[in-house]
Amino acid sequence: MALASAAPKRLRRKSHARWSPWLYLAPALITLVVWIYWPLVDAVRLSFYQWNMLPTSPQTFVGWENYQRIFALPKFWQALRNTGIYVVGLLPLAVLIPLAIAIYTHDLPERSRNIYRAIIFVPMIIAPVVAAAVWRWLLDPGYGLLNQMLKGLGLDSVKFLSDPKVTIWTVIAITGWKLMGFSTLILSAANANINPSLIEAARMDGASRWEIIRDVRLPLLSSTVLFLVVMTILLGAQWSFTYINVLTGGGPLGATTNIYYLLWDFGFHHVGGLGLGFRRHPFPRLRRHSLRAVPPDRQVFLP
Amino acid sequence: MTTDALARPGFGKPVALRRISSQSGLNSAAGHLMMVLLSIFCLFPVYWMLVSSFRPANTLFETSLWPTQPSLDNYTRAIDAIPIARMLVNTLVFSAVSTVFQLLTGILAAFAFARWKFPFDKLIYTGVALTWLVPFQVVMIPNYLLVAQLGLLDSVLALILPNIAAALAIMLLAQAMRGFPKEVIEAARMDGAGNWRILWEVLVPNLRGTIASLAILIFISTWNEYFWPLLLSRTAENSVIQIGIQMFMTAEGNAWGPLMAASTLASLPVLLIYIVLQRQVVQSFMKSGIR
Repeated sequence: MALASAAPKRLRRKSHARWSPWLYLAPALITLVVWIYWPLVDAVRLSFYQWNMLPTSPQTFVGWENYQRIFALPKFWQALRNTGIYVVGLLPLAVLIPLAIAIYTHDLPERSRNIYRAIIFVPMIIAPVVAAAVWRWLLDPGYGLLNQMLKGLGLDSVKFLSDPKVTIWTVIAITGWKLMGFSTLILSAANANINPSLIEAARMDGASRWEIIRDVRLPLLSSTVLFLVVMTILLGAQWSFTYINVLTGGGPLGATTNIYYLLWDFGFHHVGGLGLGFRRHPFPRLRRHSLRAVPPDRQVFLP
Repeated sequence: MTTDALARPGFGKPVALRRISSQSGLNSAAGHLMMVLLSIFCLFPVYWMLVSSFRPANTLFETSLWPTQPSLDNYTRAIDAIPIARMLVNTLVFSAVSTVFQLLTGILAAFAFARWKFPFDKLIYTGVALTWLVPFQVVMIPNYLLVAQLGLLDSVLALILPNIAAALAIMLLAQAMRGFPKEVIEAARMDGAGNWRILWEVLVPNLRGTIASLAILIFISTWNEYFWPLLLSRTAENSVIQIGIQMFMTAEGNAWGPLMAASTLASLPVLLIYIVLQRQVVQSFMKSGIR
């Protein structure tokens, strides 16, 4: 009797279960499809068309022409090279130095470690725009604290944000400033998780401090290090976007433009004549002379 | 080399211990030095922002570590120049509403992944996870066009729309729910609770910690969001504070004092959250928040 009644009930629950996960998923999936997947498909489709983004204007199919044109642009290759420089330049700041600090400071007392932890995490929660503003002020060629200190030491002032040779490293350093404390914390946490008896066993076997680091700690930290390296490679150039946009506008002479900034530049910055009115600086009435000249033959490329 | 000699058996334990502790004392002094230097590097720019914001125009270029004639001059100038209060309210609405919706959609979706096996569940989960890696620069043009078609340019609503669901929230919550003891859910079912009640009366109250730390993370990252508002904002009144800050930096010069004052005001809410909930903030970022 009990068995007989249980069977249909389970069946009913099963048919119920067929559509209920989709109900629970719907709000999230719809949002992600509308705002990420559909745009992704659309961006790929538009990359084969010539179109000036005005809803009324026709879209002409041009095949691979947009790609040929972007590959023919020196600017593109420069941006690609810069993207590589950003990633490679960030690795020491986001991985190597934090790794050294995490290993070197593992035996600090709990209390002071917590204080340091609270302090070095601050850059992570500061808004990128605020970080850009503060560094712009610290690095100002005339009155910035850093250049005043250099002058005090009898050195020449450095144009951190306008010398083509220096600027990309300035942007990398600021991006690194934002990340260093965070990476250090991640690596410290991983380091603290290493079983102390492993270290003790190695010490008993007569391993030197360096041998313990090389043969015990580093292999055990390798998955965390790998995670940070992958994150830096995938996202490193994106992290610097705000600083590029606020501090250098991709310049001087494209020296700080990376692929992500190039997309933004092509998509919005140079289309001033099309009524989209997009620009590096918000609100034209405060902008006055800041809009750089747009070459008349500028074409709009879509990514 | 010396360590080898001292660690030789027969040398006696006390000596070895003393040796190790004196060495670690020296090491920890060097460790402290390292951490102090790193702390100064991390904190000084923020400190300098605060100090500069209190320096009136005539002492702005001083290099003393303390403002010699502290004043609120820069703050009044910043408030006169842009509608800061309005922008702060917009930012608050943007962050708070985005946080609530991301948690809601995240909780629902995570429950579906944790509770049922259904066709293509793994594929869909991967699809959700991959959106975390899509650079915003790639989808910005279609997104911008969609907002324009909806007639929502220059509105806080348009800022919120793409942020009502996020891969990170779904993934973290799904992970937490999968780790939740099955017996408790089974017991609730025995008591006749349906899925909806199990979710809101068993899972959600028990995952308070995860949800709270996720909320902190979403709130802070939305508060600091810059790119999407930059794309949409047309007027200062409908914009967020991050865009407001940028208005003090122009090609022909920077209003350093008001710029530092506006930056301080923009950071204040986040810094306050951090001071009150420091441990939770650090933990929630470390669990997930590299982006």
